[in-house]
Amino acid sequence: MKKLALAGLLVLGLTGCSSDDPQVLNLYNWSEYMPQEVLTRFEDETGIKVVYTTYDSNEAMYARLKLLDESAAYDLAVPSTYYVSKMRNEGLLLPIDRSKISGFEQLDSELTGLDIDPDNQYSVPYLWGTTGIGVDTADIEGEPVTAWEDLWDERFKGRVNLTNDMREVFHMSLRVLGYSGNSTDPQQIEAAYEKLTELMPSVRTFNSDAPRMPFLEGEADVGMIWNGEAVMGKDSMETLEYVYPEEGVIAWLDSFVIPKNAKNPEAAHKFISFVLQPEIAALISEDIGYATPVLSARDLLGDEVAGDRASYPAPEDMVNAEFQTDIGDEVLQVYAKYWEKLKSGL
Amino acid sequence: MRWLSRSYLALVYLLLYVPIVVLVVFSFNDSRTGYNWGGLSLRWYESLFNNHAMVQAMWNSLWLALTAATVSTMIGALTAVALHRYRFRGKRVLNGMLFVVMMSPEIVLAISLLGLFLLLGLKLGYVSLLLAHVTFCLPFVVITVLARLAGFDERLPEAARDLGASDFTMTRTVLIPVIMPALMAGWLLGFTLSMDDVVVSTFVSGPSYEILPLRIYSMVRVGLKPEVNALGTLLLVFSLVMLMVSQWILSRSKQ
Amino acid sequence: MMRSIKQQPFRAVVLVLVWGWLLFLVLAPNMLVVGASVMTRDPSTFISLPLNLDAYRQLFNPLYLEVFLHSLYMAAMTTLICLLIGYPFAWALSRVEKRRQMLLIFLLIVPFWTNSLVRTYALKLILATNGLLNSALMSLGVIDEPAQLLYTEGAVIVGLVYLLLPFMILPLYSVFEDLRQDVLLASHDLGAGRFATFKNVVVPLTLPGALAGVMLVLLPAMGLFFVPDILGGSRNLLVGNVIKNQFLDARNWPFGAAASIVLTLTMALLMFAHRLSKRRLGEEGA
Repeated sequence: MKKLALAGLLVLGLTGCSSDDPQVLNLYNWSEYMPQEVLTRFEDETGIKVVYTTYDSNEAMYARLKLLDESAAYDLAVPSTYYVSKMRNEGLLLPIDRSKISGFEQLDSELTGLDIDPDNQYSVPYLWGTTGIGVDTADIEGEPVTAWEDLWDERFKGRVNLTNDMREVFHMSLRVLGYSGNSTDPQQIEAAYEKLTELMPSVRTFNSDAPRMPFLEGEADVGMIWNGEAVMGKDSMETLEYVYPEEGVIAWLDSFVIPKNAKNPEAAHKFISFVLQPEIAALISEDIGYATPVLSARDLLGDEVAGDRASYPAPEDMVNAEFQTDIGDEVLQVYAKYWEKLKSGL
Repeated sequence: MRWLSRSYLALVYLLLYVPIVVLVVFSFNDSRTGYNWGGLSLRWYESLFNNHAMVQAMWNSLWLALTAATVSTMIGALTAVALHRYRFRGKRVLNGMLFVVMMSPEIVLAISLLGLFLLLGLKLGYVSLLLAHVTFCLPFVVITVLARLAGFDERLPEAARDLGASDFTMTRTVLIPVIMPALMAGWLLGFTLSMDDVVVSTFVSGPSYEILPLRIYSMVRVGLKPEVNALGTLLLVFSLVMLMVSQWILSRSKQ
Repeated sequence: MMRSIKQQPFRAVVLVLVWGWLLFLVLAPNMLVVGASVMTRDPSTFISLPLNLDAYRQLFNPLYLEVFLHSLYMAAMTTLICLLIGYPFAWALSRVEKRRQMLLIFLLIVPFWTNSLVRTYALKLILATNGLLNSALMSLGVIDEPAQLLYTEGAVIVGLVYLLLPFMILPLYSVFEDLRQDVLLASHDLGAGRFATFKNVVVPLTLPGALAGVMLVLLPAMGLFFVPDILGGSRNLLVGNVIKNQFLDARNWPFGAAASIVLTLTMALLMFAHRLSKRRLGEEGA
């Protein structure tokens, strides 16, 4: 009998705490990419509990979805531009039922129907932004920073922050060399790597969880940063400026997608509609500093936000800007090899 | 010579405790930036408890640690008894395997279990975490209990058997009371290991069961978060209380 | 050993349970890793046939070899520093009165009961440019400008030493505990000087403890990937980071598996050395 009790206890232990509440939305998103207030309001309004999990790179998000496969209960993810097409092509996404989405027609038509997902069957734009240069103007002397190339400057030795994102870092280096940021030519990639090794003595840290942090912590004075992070950082550090480099910023569009193994696609649709409401979209843009694709939300933004060129660039800021595209798995391996070597601190 | 060795001990202890003291002191710091002192405040404790995801992860972790420690203590104790009392084929291999588990780098265990769970199609969540945590706790329990058994008077079980007790009865009435302190020590060790584990959990957890160390990990990666200080202080107090309670029970059981 | 029939079921249940657990959750998974390491990377299913040794060849690619050597160097430095701090510490500890020893050991273990991530994070508070150490040094006038401590190789090593030091001290302490005073006296009486006693008596007798400590420090020091993440600015990577990246980012499982087998082999080597040192000691003692 005792043995039975023991077995019973084991079974109880194994099954005792499954939290399979149907009204849960598992949101898989970038670190610090959704204000808590939005989540709270969504929970209050719909009664659906949001479980918010974060990642710091597209690769990590993609690998985790693949890895978990059927047990991946993520209902929504937010891949950047080229990962939408990659995931769509590989059949990793559920189609989005447009009839359940309200507010789609409010979206900036320049950001819908892109090549990555021509009819937006699988993705709905969430935010868009750029990766440019962050400068702590209080801590630098001499010529103002205007180009990616300036990061190689002697005076920034040990003071440079890079995003912890393989594609972005190589994109930057490729642009400095005059190549496309989406190069698939192994020789160009190797050249970019060689160029980056010259930068490494200057690099303090790689940060893609919150690239503003090394600036705020006083560890970095200059480096790669996302525009929204620069805007957020300015709140606590007046001297943090966002610069559009001459070689061109890296542009991206992050979109909501529903992974194929989502457990609650219904809630995912509701959440997308919720976020597309002009009032909510405006709140997000004001809070985290990225540009919302919801046109009617832009009218609700305060002048300070709408007029901030870091969040909403002027046309001349976007000269030479380049969107990232899918370059295929094989080339990614070439990048990955150099990336690992670069980061090992040699 | 004597004062030299004493002051050396003191110095090392000082270094070991400075970060912990800093953590506790800064958890009451009102300043946002986390480096300068901005006056006493409990705001980080407040914001911690208002963070639902965090509180949920805390409960999940507690439940996981509780069950993992309990299961590994049960299996580990039985294993130790078997290793101590029985002679059987492959005993050395069993011993060696436990030693290997204890020594292997966590990351190796982590990826091997990940591979197994994927192959079996096991959903990554509570069950996979439990299996993994029990596995890395197991050898520690076995060793703790074996150490206790080594000092155990062999005549006691013999006497019990002579009085007609079956193995099982003997185990329950004679053996378990004797190894109780070791069981508790092993349980506590397992509980701590489970609460603290980042490496293995990173690999075998899924979205359905978020646990505290992974939450903390994603918080500290983002940067300086004063809530982390508050959380660390709470965890420290919690484990100190547990240690003291266990000491108290042990000293009572000796009397 | 004779057992009556009615006693058998208990024993059988225990053995089946333990063996089952270990075979299923230790042996089988490790075999899977070995298997994965000789397969081919596959972008959609992670691994696929044919079998080959590409992953191992990749390990010896000069590119990765450097990564590994650098990681090994950091782990070795960590171990060495732990040994240098821990050896005299364990000796001093074993010389304290018995009553106090228990308390001191307890104090040594308490930090270990605090979450290791949180402790690593606390180190960041201390080492940062605006952090406590820099502020203290500047107000003392030792330095004029904040030194760069965080996000360096040194910071990673400090973090690893801080987390792993108790694991070096405890086994060393236990061998010093067994080191009887009369052995040292005998050596002295036989005319050996302090250094000779240390070299010929103390070191060999404490070697198993030191090796156990090395094992308990060196292996985790190669695997604790969160330390470079927090203190190294995602640079100064450990083997653990490489393995984690291969499994959770780059999706090159064969390579990750091969890297982890290198770790396992390192462990086997250390365990072998440990056994050897214990055996030699046993023979000499006999």
